[in-house]
Amino acid sequence: MIEFSNVGLRYGQGPEILRDLDFRIEPGTFHFLTGPSGSGKTSLLKLLLLSLRPTRGRVTLFGKDTSALDQDALLQMRRHIGIVFQEFRLLDHLTTFENVALPLRVLGEPESSYRANVTELLEWVGLGSRLDAHPAVLSGGEKQRAAIARAVIGRPDILLADEPTGNVDPELSLRLVRLFAELNKMGTTIILATHELPLLDNFPFPRMNLHEGQVVFSD
Amino acid sequence: MIELRLPRFAGLDSRERAAPIVPERSVAGRTLVLLIAIMTFLSGVTLGGVVLVQKSAIAWSSDVGREMTIQIRPMEGEVMDSNLRTAVALAEATPGVASARALTLEERQQLLEPWLGAGLDLSAIDIPRLVVVQLADPGEADIAKLERDLQSVKGASLDTHAAWRQQLNVMAGTIVASGLLVLALIVVATVLAIIFATRGTMSSNREIVDVLHFIGASNSFIAGEFQGRFLTIGFRGGIIGGLGALLFFFLVGLAAGSMVPQEAGQQLGILFGRFALGIDGMFGILAVIPVIAAMTAITSRMTVRRFLQKTS
Repeated sequence: MIEFSNVGLRYGQGPEILRDLDFRIEPGTFHFLTGPSGSGKTSLLKLLLLSLRPTRGRVTLFGKDTSALDQDALLQMRRHIGIVFQEFRLLDHLTTFENVALPLRVLGEPESSYRANVTELLEWVGLGSRLDAHPAVLSGGEKQRAAIARAVIGRPDILLADEPTGNVDPELSLRLVRLFAELNKMGTTIILATHELPLLDNFPFPRMNLHEGQVVFSD
Repeated sequence: MIELRLPRFAGLDSRERAAPIVPERSVAGRTLVLLIAIMTFLSGVTLGGVVLVQKSAIAWSSDVGREMTIQIRPMEGEVMDSNLRTAVALAEATPGVASARALTLEERQQLLEPWLGAGLDLSAIDIPRLVVVQLADPGEADIAKLERDLQSVKGASLDTHAAWRQQLNVMAGTIVASGLLVLALIVVATVLAIIFATRGTMSSNREIVDVLHFIGASNSFIAGEFQGRFLTIGFRGGIIGGLGALLFFFLVGLAAGSMVPQEAGQQLGILFGRFALGIDGMFGILAVIPVIAAMTAITSRMTVRRFLQKTS
């Protein structure tokens, strides 16, 4: 599903942030992406999200070389990938329901066609009573659950999460990662970037450790 | 992927319409509405001015073109009254001529009064006499034949007022061209202002654009969301400016009517036309409104697309 071949990335004329990345991630797996701040976790996620192109090497997603894709094809492929950010990135003027429904709305689907699904999903992540609340009145945990719901409402094949537990307390962090684990059980491939190593000990998933621009896999 | 069967949320059926993705307050709305209103007002006033000048020029040119003057200078050995009758008869016999008549003594006195003063006895002075020739159809009048025929009348010459008309047309054409140039400059200034406003809006809404990109929105979808906002702003500003321009012409027309005495007003009307736009002029100004709104929407869409191509 995801294959990196000799991938390198640099910004402008600077040094390579990521180098000689060679790995393969199978569908339906769950990986933690770890490494200290500035090790390139977000850059690697951006490569996976197709919002950055590698300066060398080849990124293959869903069996297609992404460097050969035009704008439209990249857009279509991006719709199979969900993303969750540490800082939530919900739109403040929209309600929880509207934020979660946004990926379907941009596809031009009428509200009547997704109303029930969005409501069920929000119930599932524990926000059934917060449908009409705006992000300003949600707690950090609620915002992150809304962000996760927004990332999965379009049923992506791959779900990327960039420090999703960075702004919540340890107990809630654990609950959020369990939520990702539940999604993984349903078949979604998940890559969750975090630097909270103690959290990872609660889960049996393999780790991708970024060190000096290279990935080292460990169980 | 998620196969959950949970009870529907009853409150959803009464949900209000989804909020716009680009919030209204985040677009530099009020300032831009005011700017577009001013630009539409200026466009409307310029367009109305052009219409007024053109209509007056056409009307005056048409009036002047329907009339010719035969001038008969006094000549020794010639009988003026006889020559006048001949000239009138020749004119009346010319195809396309509706009527011809010699100016009476009183009419001649009135004509010369501004220069020679009142109470003048013209019968004691030998001055050229005039025959006014009205044309039924200026296009079909055989002016060349009349000129040939008048050669038999000593001292007679024909004035078709062609030089006047030509000068008037040149003057009116210059004013119309200047008005259109001003209109074009207003359009360019409006487009530039919209481009700057759109860029500002895009920068202040960068977070929304980024989120929309991450969730898989296409550039044309994002551009459409912003275009909708700008179309509304364009219509709002256009309506305010367009109605303002119509009100301006209405008030100026009223003021012109009440400030100038009725008799002078009639003469001014004959010379410069009535200060009234007419239905076509009003439609012209009203047509500026959708044009400005569409221009706002198209310009912002193109600016947004360029912005998105650079950032995505």
